[in-house]
Amino acid sequence: MRKIVEGLLFLSGDEGLTLEQISETISYSKEDTFVMLQEMIEEYHSSDSAIQIVLFGGIYRFVSKSFLHPYAQKLFTSIKPVQLSNASLETLAIIAYRQPITRSEIEEIRGVGCDHIIRKLEARHLIRNIGRSEDIGRAFLYEVTEEFLNAFQLTSLNELPELTLNVSQHKLFEE
Amino acid sequence: MIFTVNTEVFEGPLDLMLHLIKSNKLDLFDLDMNVLTTQYFNYITTLKHQNVEIASEFLSELASLLEYKSKKLLPKETVEITSEYEVDEREKLVQRLLEYQNYKEASMQLEQAFSARQLLLSKPLSEESQNYINESSELITGTPYDLMKAMQKVIKRQSILRPDTTTLNVKEVSLEERAKTVELTLQQQNTITFDRLCEDCINLGMVVVTFLVILDFMKNQKIFVEVIDDKILIKRKNYA
Repeated sequence: MRKIVEGLLFLSGDEGLTLEQISETISYSKEDTFVMLQEMIEEYHSSDSAIQIVLFGGIYRFVSKSFLHPYAQKLFTSIKPVQLSNASLETLAIIAYRQPITRSEIEEIRGVGCDHIIRKLEARHLIRNIGRSEDIGRAFLYEVTEEFLNAFQLTSLNELPELTLNVSQHKLFEE
Repeated sequence: MIFTVNTEVFEGPLDLMLHLIKSNKLDLFDLDMNVLTTQYFNYITTLKHQNVEIASEFLSELASLLEYKSKKLLPKETVEITSEYEVDEREKLVQRLLEYQNYKEASMQLEQAFSARQLLLSKPLSEESQNYINESSELITGTPYDLMKAMQKVIKRQSILRPDTTTLNVKEVSLEERAKTVELTLQQQNTITFDRLCEDCINLGMVVVTFLVILDFMKNQKIFVEVIDDKILIKRKNYA
């Protein structure tokens, strides 16, 4: 069965597969499939293979290990690491921790306008707009996408690094 | 010759303030507003001398800092109230700085995860499997002009079929009504040409409404549309 899952993951390439897709295809329970995939992840991780299985944003995929990157870059000139500006990173961090959040709330925290950045992040599918806020003005609400989780090696938002200072708690004291 | 280049780029007034606080070793929890205001003011004026364009956000924060400072310089008559107000304003700023610092730190950690992820490469889905997954890649073949040509043909035939002298039935069909009929027709036959779909149209307005319905369905991915020899072929999407 492992061989089949391995093959399926290989075929699905960068699109990857969800746990549901795999378990349905091989007619296994979700729990069993999960355990099996977990074992496979560890196995690939500890082996000296050049590829590994990763689980980011609820999707299993085959990726190459990082030691391969410089060689791949030399061979395929099209591979260039993407850079995110500090402004983009800050905006993403605020959205990830505080979602759903409106643009003006982000701007209040950052102290600068974010209109352009939000549109850029939306175009890169790192964030999406999920309707409008119920408050006055009915501003757009934003949240991060699965693509964000994938790009930041996260399985879920619970894995975000803990904030040094718990802001919401601090506010409680203030009021 | 020595070139002094200031590579520090601040993301905003709060970023700049944090930098000033750090470099002056000020305590964020017992913030000396005097030092901060002076430093902030100096920084902005130096920038100005260097002919750097200053974003309005920086100036707006400068204004509130100066307002705070000037309020403190005023003789205090109602001591209690003013002092309370001052603490409040300072507290607010500290709060904002702390919150901002939080996310700035978090964003740096995220940056590391992001760069590390960039080193893991994956292979695009093989074309073979892509074909199975994405039938919809053949969603539309033909240009908008093909659509237009086909539409023109329908209109032309419509005008020939209808004699010039008929009593006009002024019955407007709404988009929703027409959508229902079209959907019903599509359920009965999976593939239909636009001409056939318009057979029951009694006037040009109805043809237009039908066309709008088709555009609507295309947008909602309910149907495939293909243009073959000036004919608009409409296929129902099975799993829609």
